[in-house]
Amino acid sequence: MESLKKKDLALIELELLSHVNWSRKSVIWLGTLVFLFAICIYFYFQQLKHGLGVTGLNDYVSWGIYISNFVFFVAASLIGMLISSIMGLIGVKWILPISRIAEIIALSFAMVAGLIIITDMGRPDRLHHLFIYGRIQSPIVWDITVVITYVVLSFLLLYLPLIPDMILCKDKCSQIPPFQRKMYKILSLGWTNTTGQYQLMKRFMKILMVLIIPVALAIHTVTSWLFALTLRAGWDSAIFGPYFVSGAFVAGSAAVIIAMFFYRNSFKLKDYITHVHFDKMGKLLVMVALVYVYFNINEIIVPAYKLKGGEAEHLKSMLAGSDSIMFWTVQLGGLIIPFALLVIKRMRRPLPLTIISVIILVAAWFKRYLIVVPIQEHPYYPIQNVPEELMHYSPTIAEIAITAGPFILLLIIITVLSKLFPVIPIWEIKENLEHEK
Amino acid sequence: MKNSKVVWTILLFACCSAIAMAQEKWLVPEANNDMLSILIFDEDTQLEGKLIYTRSCRSCHGDPTKKDFTIMSPSPGDVASDLYQDQTDGSLFYKIQKGRGPMPSFENAFSEEEIWSLVSYIRSFNPEYQQKLPNLEGIEIPNLTLHISYDENIDKLVVKVTSDSLEVMADASVKAYIQGMFGKYPLGSEMTNELGIAYFHIDSKIPGDTEGYLDILVKTYKDYGTAKYAGKIQAGNPTIRKSAIEGRHLWSAAKKAPIWMIIIFNMMGIGIWGVIIYVIFGLRKFKKLS
Repeated sequence: MESLKKKDLALIELELLSHVNWSRKSVIWLGTLVFLFAICIYFYFQQLKHGLGVTGLNDYVSWGIYISNFVFFVAASLIGMLISSIMGLIGVKWILPISRIAEIIALSFAMVAGLIIITDMGRPDRLHHLFIYGRIQSPIVWDITVVITYVVLSFLLLYLPLIPDMILCKDKCSQIPPFQRKMYKILSLGWTNTTGQYQLMKRFMKILMVLIIPVALAIHTVTSWLFALTLRAGWDSAIFGPYFVSGAFVAGSAAVIIAMFFYRNSFKLKDYITHVHFDKMGKLLVMVALVYVYFNINEIIVPAYKLKGGEAEHLKSMLAGSDSIMFWTVQLGGLIIPFALLVIKRMRRPLPLTIISVIILVAAWFKRYLIVVPIQEHPYYPIQNVPEELMHYSPTIAEIAITAGPFILLLIIITVLSKLFPVIPIWEIKENLEHEK
Repeated sequence: MKNSKVVWTILLFACCSAIAMAQEKWLVPEANNDMLSILIFDEDTQLEGKLIYTRSCRSCHGDPTKKDFTIMSPSPGDVASDLYQDQTDGSLFYKIQKGRGPMPSFENAFSEEEIWSLVSYIRSFNPEYQQKLPNLEGIEIPNLTLHISYDENIDKLVVKVTSDSLEVMADASVKAYIQGMFGKYPLGSEMTNELGIAYFHIDSKIPGDTEGYLDILVKTYKDYGTAKYAGKIQAGNPTIRKSAIEGRHLWSAAKKAPIWMIIIFNMMGIGIWGVIIYVIFGLRKFKKLS
């Protein structure tokens, strides 16, 4: 903020609005994404045509990388709640320039998470049956309800503080097509920057920020319950809720740091997203990683000490058997080592922190895979005459492509959002600067 | 030195075998050897024998046919093996009754009938076995009749054994069972008293059909005369079967979800969505405030 104090408010506006346009680069980038997405859509049509047989899913492993991916996306979306709500309500000032980035990340991940569930359905044309015939005793119905609620809340939390900035875009952005200007006008709901409007918006924001905390906790707790409410050894765990939530903050923080890095460099926001922000986000990441390590220790050591029944089978293959390479790579390489590195101040500078965050995010994806898949390869006991191929799962090309799709869609949504709207809340920055003066 | 060790070993071995050989020969007096069963072997005698075997014989002789008997000297052996099956019924009876060395005498533990049912059970592992029956010529075999009732004051099944001409039959052996879906539950084995009556306790908690009826099977035996009774008596606990999907449960259909769940789910939904809708409608106020 210190560096901003010397800047003229008009210059700040100009700098922050500079990326709201459809530059050649951004169009090429979007075009590439759309092309790649089309390839994924082709594979999805293959799946629609031939059914889930095109995937590596089978009778025993019926939840594969689609569901792992779903859990990952829900996890990453939780960060919006932590950063913009909890930090905002506490009144943490440094978080201000990255609160909208966190909201964009949260909304995009949450939106796409909902779509991933559909890719795991054999008959997506019967999606509406879930709403007509859904039983409220089923955690799946709770999950759908809470995901939709979270998407709506995240949307409102992103939208409300955007309204004053949209007026700014309408008035000040020169290189935008007329329909976009019209869109700003409609979406800004007759905003005229009056004190009463600001007061009302802040009131609504406060309500939503409080409301989103339980909903965000619920979205990932319920996702964990999809597993924990079964009797299957390895999923049948009482700490799955907090275990998932704490893991979600790790993945989400890493995602926000990566987004910060790219926005900072490609949108020339070095004065706004500074070393201080990376340093603090790095510290936040250390804290959430610590909590997650704590839950990991609980989740693994408690059953590993007792080694009962099916749990023993699963844990042995995880700790020393067929899944042990992935397990230890994820735990050490994706959690312990990055966490240890982040304690060093130099590692919290933008580039090293971003690299570490990428590793953490990739590991977080594989961590979800380890939670979802290997357990199903050791099905309920006793079993007899199970064909060998049912005991192993490896995703097919089509499945990998359909899993890559959501990532591409995510990038498309994030790109479109950040090309339509300023990624740093301009009016809040201005307000803050005026307040400090 | 070496040689003497070998000699000693051979001697020791010879002694052991001699003892073992001596043990092998277990002479049964001829009269006992030719003795024939007082029971006609059937499923029920086999079942009774199996129960006794499991309780008193299995710990040494193991499960028949599996050769999992205890290792000791002399070897108890598997009762399904030829070692046993080549002997006469009388010989098996005698050996069980008298015992020798580590094989205890069961004379005081089991009645003659019980020992015969053990023999019957042992024979059930020999498909070639055919029971030798005594020469019954000149022996008058009584015609037995069973009269069954249930005294609910004392929870007892009352079995009266008479002849055709309603002459009371004392000292007749009576066995009673409850017929289950997959097997019989033995109520016991009794001898009739001087009034020709035997009592069997029936636990009133035993589940019966919807009205508490139990399928009862009674058999009697006296001097090669037998009689059987199979019928229902109202002596059990009525079983009221509840449908697993009756009522409201976690596993019920959507319409029968538990009330508490409907209330909590809807309260949370209405609460949160109420606020969301309030905010969305509140957005219209922005225009008024401009």
